[in-house]
Amino acid sequence: MQYVIVGIGGQGILFSSRVLGHIALSKGERVIGSEVHGMAQRGGSVISHFKVGDYNSPLVKANEADVLLAFDQNEAVRNMHFLKPGGHAVVNTHAPAFAENPSLTKWMSEREARLHTVMGYDMLKKEMGGRFLFLNVLILGAMCGAGVGGVTIEEVLEAVRALAPAKFVEDNVKAVNLGYEGTK
Amino acid sequence: MSNKQILLGNEAIARGVVEAGCEVAAAYPGTPSSEILPAIAKWADDLGTRTVVEWGANEKVAFEMAAAASFTGKRSCAVMKQVGLNVAADPFMSVAQFKLKGGFLLIAADDPGPHSSQTEQDSRFFAMFAKIPCFDPATAVEAKEMVFDAYDLSERHNVITMLRPGVRVDHCRQDIELKDVIDLSRPASFEKDPNRWVCLPARVKINHPQLNEKREAIRKEFETKFPKYNYEVPARKKARLGIIAAGVSFSIVTDILRAWGADDVSVLKIGTPHPLPIRMVEDFISRHDNVVILEETYPVIEMQIPDRTKVKGRWNGWVPSAGELLPEIIEEILCKVLGKAAPEGAPDDLRKAAEELNITPRRPMLCPGCPHRASFFSIRQTLPKAIYPSDIGCYTLGVNQGMVDAVLDMGASITQASGLYMAYKADGKEQPIVASIGDSTFFHMGLPGLASAVYNKHAFVLAILDNSLTAMTGGQSHPGIGDKLRKGETGRKVDLEGAVRGCGVNWVKTTAAYDISTSRSLVKEAWEYARTHEEPAVLIFRHPCMLLRQKQAVIPVTVDPEKCIGCKFCINFFNCPGLVFDEKTKKAYIDERFCVKCGVCINVCPHGAILATEGEEA
Repeated sequence: MQYVIVGIGGQGILFSSRVLGHIALSKGERVIGSEVHGMAQRGGSVISHFKVGDYNSPLVKANEADVLLAFDQNEAVRNMHFLKPGGHAVVNTHAPAFAENPSLTKWMSEREARLHTVMGYDMLKKEMGGRFLFLNVLILGAMCGAGVGGVTIEEVLEAVRALAPAKFVEDNVKAVNLGYEGTK
Repeated sequence: MSNKQILLGNEAIARGVVEAGCEVAAAYPGTPSSEILPAIAKWADDLGTRTVVEWGANEKVAFEMAAAASFTGKRSCAVMKQVGLNVAADPFMSVAQFKLKGGFLLIAADDPGPHSSQTEQDSRFFAMFAKIPCFDPATAVEAKEMVFDAYDLSERHNVITMLRPGVRVDHCRQDIELKDVIDLSRPASFEKDPNRWVCLPARVKINHPQLNEKREAIRKEFETKFPKYNYEVPARKKARLGIIAAGVSFSIVTDILRAWGADDVSVLKIGTPHPLPIRMVEDFISRHDNVVILEETYPVIEMQIPDRTKVKGRWNGWVPSAGELLPEIIEEILCKVLGKAAPEGAPDDLRKAAEELNITPRRPMLCPGCPHRASFFSIRQTLPKAIYPSDIGCYTLGVNQGMVDAVLDMGASITQASGLYMAYKADGKEQPIVASIGDSTFFHMGLPGLASAVYNKHAFVLAILDNSLTAMTGGQSHPGIGDKLRKGETGRKVDLEGAVRGCGVNWVKTTAAYDISTSRSLVKEAWEYARTHEEPAVLIFRHPCMLLRQKQAVIPVTVDPEKCIGCKFCINFFNCPGLVFDEKTKKAYIDERFCVKCGVCINVCPHGAILATEGEEA
């Protein structure tokens, strides 16, 4: 399973791959991935690669990702070429009209790739006081809701409980469930 | 219970350092190396070792601290990024010739790409330059393993060794096996011996030939005794192509070959690029008609091969001579060499979609609420005609505000200000100059430049942007803060104003970075002083980094669309992720996804269109 996770520096995208890693390790699987630290983290486009299985390289090659997890719809479009034919993009969306773009829908349908959108900002604004840092787990919930990514909602919840700081566990669980309901 | 954990490559390397019995470790932070030293401190605490772990004020300082510790017989370690090794190059070249006592490991983290650096230089060349052995890991697992061998080799040959992880090893996340600490029980014991520890020219005549001997002895070992790092992955059928690969390029190429199901390509992995096991490499080349060399970023292995007739590499343009060897690029090279159809490039439909949706890559920006943004705004509004040399740190992103005109390396804001002053002085002209530097960078390499500017009477304003943190690299401490790295250890804070005065500066004042009106009058006063007295004036802008998440006033803001005339002044001069321009309505608006309610932008709009909203004070 190969994931590409994209977003904007400061959105906390590194935590998502930690959760995926925790799940894989508990199943005894090998993992390798690549993260962005440093200047590139400061508000610019960021990308994490994460691979579960027998790989040596931490990078996902274009056309090979099973899942693209996007914290930002613009970053999703910019990185869609990582998706393999038949792959799934789970995209946090703030302006849903982008999904209707004819060039994008043509590309997606030609390679039988699927787009799953979730209105994460709206949900977090409405349900969690606009604490957008919880996007990183909300999107994992959305991935499970869409039935893709090879992990279950129970596994995600278990991992989030184990990894999140104690005082934020309940908030994290709530955000996972919001995402899950958003795409189910 | 499994003893495996998913670790960042840097955490894995740090674990190796502690397990290998290292007792003194020093570093200056720099991406992609920054996480190593804090992780050494963490593992040392977890495993209960007495390892002394400290930030040096710069890489040269850190390197020398670690070097001297190894003179006592203890295992030591210096950690830095590739350009940090430029700073530490002086002691590095000298120590290379010493007959060391305790194992001394230099970890130099490279940044092909580059992602967060001013160069993408190859530290393996530095190892070659200094004639010392270098390990080049392909994965985090291997990097950790190499730490043990690097220490062992260092002690058997009494020579410094280098571990050179690239950014994809440093910042890879992988499942790592944890082990116990090797208990070396070595008390520090410095034996006085000027012939050994004093780098007199007379000694070089003895040490240099000895270093050459060590190098050839190590080369012999690399030929046969390190099959775990230098080995061949043979083709199942007769090989059409042989690939020599090092570092993460090996990992990438083997993943590609496996995905292809290729059975007619063999790969020689080189984990010790210097000194190169030449026989092994020449034997591999002799058995193939066609050989490609994949290594980052410079042709270090390639240049050590005496006969490159069959080699496709950088010398003949088959491999790009700049940039990171990403999977897509390696795949393209392989396709070209094998005469395969090139893989699909960036698809037209997606490019079109991005164009139609007006999507461009987001450039890095200062964080919302960052005090540097306010400081830069105050300076530019006060002295718009000034030249703005700046420095290495988050504030290099002030380039977005037109506030960064020249950057070279750590500390060069001050010395460039001097050079600019000298150039205009030669013409008898007065030119306003405002240099900017961060607090950590000032302690790193700002002090000598400032002393020199005072001594030579150079007129400029130095803005020290004091956010009480080494921020760009993730928030490390430094002498101006005083906190130390290992839990429960407190250092002593070096007073920034005092250090500036100590350099001889007479005009030193401090302003709150968020207070634009006071800052503006102080910038004016500082330049007036510098100009009339012909000496540097230092203005310290102070406000904690947003990464520290310190409590501050919460001031929600909004843009009044009636008052906003769409001039984009706030976008061009203030450049905040939370303040954006709507091309449809031609008005600025607050993007709630990013705004942190610092309220600074209220003082930015010349038309008073940015207003505090009431009733939401938290």
